[in-house]
Amino acid sequence: MNDDSPVQILKNNIWYSNPIFIQILGICSTLAVTNNLTNTVIMTVGLIFVAAFTNLTVSLLKNLIPRKVRMILQTLIIAFYVIIVDILLRAYLPEVSKSLGPYVGLIITNCIIMGRAEAFAQSHGPLLSVWDGVTSGLGYMWVLMIIAFVRELMGFGTLFGITVLPSGFTPWTIMVMAPSAFFLLGTFIWVAKTIILKQKSSDMQPKGGK
Amino acid sequence: MKKDGLIYTVIVSILAAFLFVFLLSLAYGATKGKVEENQRLTEAKAYLTAAGVKVEEGVDVEQTFKSYFPKFKPKAAFQTTEVNGHSEVVSPFQGNGLWGTISGVIGMTADLKRIVGLEIVSHVETPGLGGRIDEPWFKDQFKGEYAENGIIVKHGAGGGDTDPDNGQVDGITGASRTSDAIQIIVNNQIDLLKKELGGTN
Repeated sequence: MNDDSPVQILKNNIWYSNPIFIQILGICSTLAVTNNLTNTVIMTVGLIFVAAFTNLTVSLLKNLIPRKVRMILQTLIIAFYVIIVDILLRAYLPEVSKSLGPYVGLIITNCIIMGRAEAFAQSHGPLLSVWDGVTSGLGYMWVLMIIAFVRELMGFGTLFGITVLPSGFTPWTIMVMAPSAFFLLGTFIWVAKTIILKQKSSDMQPKGGK
Repeated sequence: MKKDGLIYTVIVSILAAFLFVFLLSLAYGATKGKVEENQRLTEAKAYLTAAGVKVEEGVDVEQTFKSYFPKFKPKAAFQTTEVNGHSEVVSPFQGNGLWGTISGVIGMTADLKRIVGLEIVSHVETPGLGGRIDEPWFKDQFKGEYAENGIIVKHGAGGGDTDPDNGQVDGITGASRTSDAIQIIVNNQIDLLKKELGGTN
């Protein structure tokens, strides 16, 4: 199995070494933004954008950057793209910018971006690095979307701000607050790990059997 | 030059910092006008909503704003206007929320007996909890509320409060501190307006 083929990178980032439930990165934003689907979509799209461009830039500049200062320069590059996203939102989508508030700036501290820049872009070509950034972002996105789906449905009775549950439904306040993301994420990791372990053991049997 | 040498490291760091900050300032400069315009529109909408004027989608906000506030003085403590024959006082406010400054606009009848409307312009409260102060159901409670002696934002009281004459509105479940902050901010603003308008009443 070639670990660097685009298909393998996709599979790894979406499932086998998913940034959220395998690497447990970017948890702070998982707790913070997932009580609302709209904010989650915008936040994750922002992250995909920043991760892709950061990986591209780091990959292009990797031969120029001295090893001693490479981490601080990666941070600079990440901060650069995050502020660009913030400026664009403020100018062209003021409503969204208002509802996301401080969270856009927090993309800077998202460990996924720095993790991918350091672990992948430092040692791979620009195109593969962009692909790695995009797929890492997608791996982050689909997990957050599922958590946000449950939290918004149970916490507000709405999906994307549209009421779907009958008015007699009592919203679960705990779902709106950060701790509920811990419960949901924990459950999610449990389910995902169980599936992965099953896959592994069924992969082993045909090879190990006589 | 050695790639791990001191001089190379310093030069690359300075160049990289300069380049990225330069590009950022370009992007900032290019969008500055647009951002300021958005800000102006948000404020104009807030004044209109607080005054009880419905701002429909697609209406020219600035035009409507000029017709209701022809003598608008920026940075003034309050503006006076007439909506449907009632004279009103519309005033921008600011105060401390749980995490940062809450700013907005409040509209009151000229005798300061009732609130006409309340609009939140900016806040950094917890999204989904205190952040719900900018949702319509919360702001709409202030419409027509009797407020001569200030208002009370209730919490933990169970049933909803729909009586516009008792000066009480419902707080936000799970956001007692933000609810308290709103109560203090609004009451301070009413006191301030009483002082400002004291001479004329």
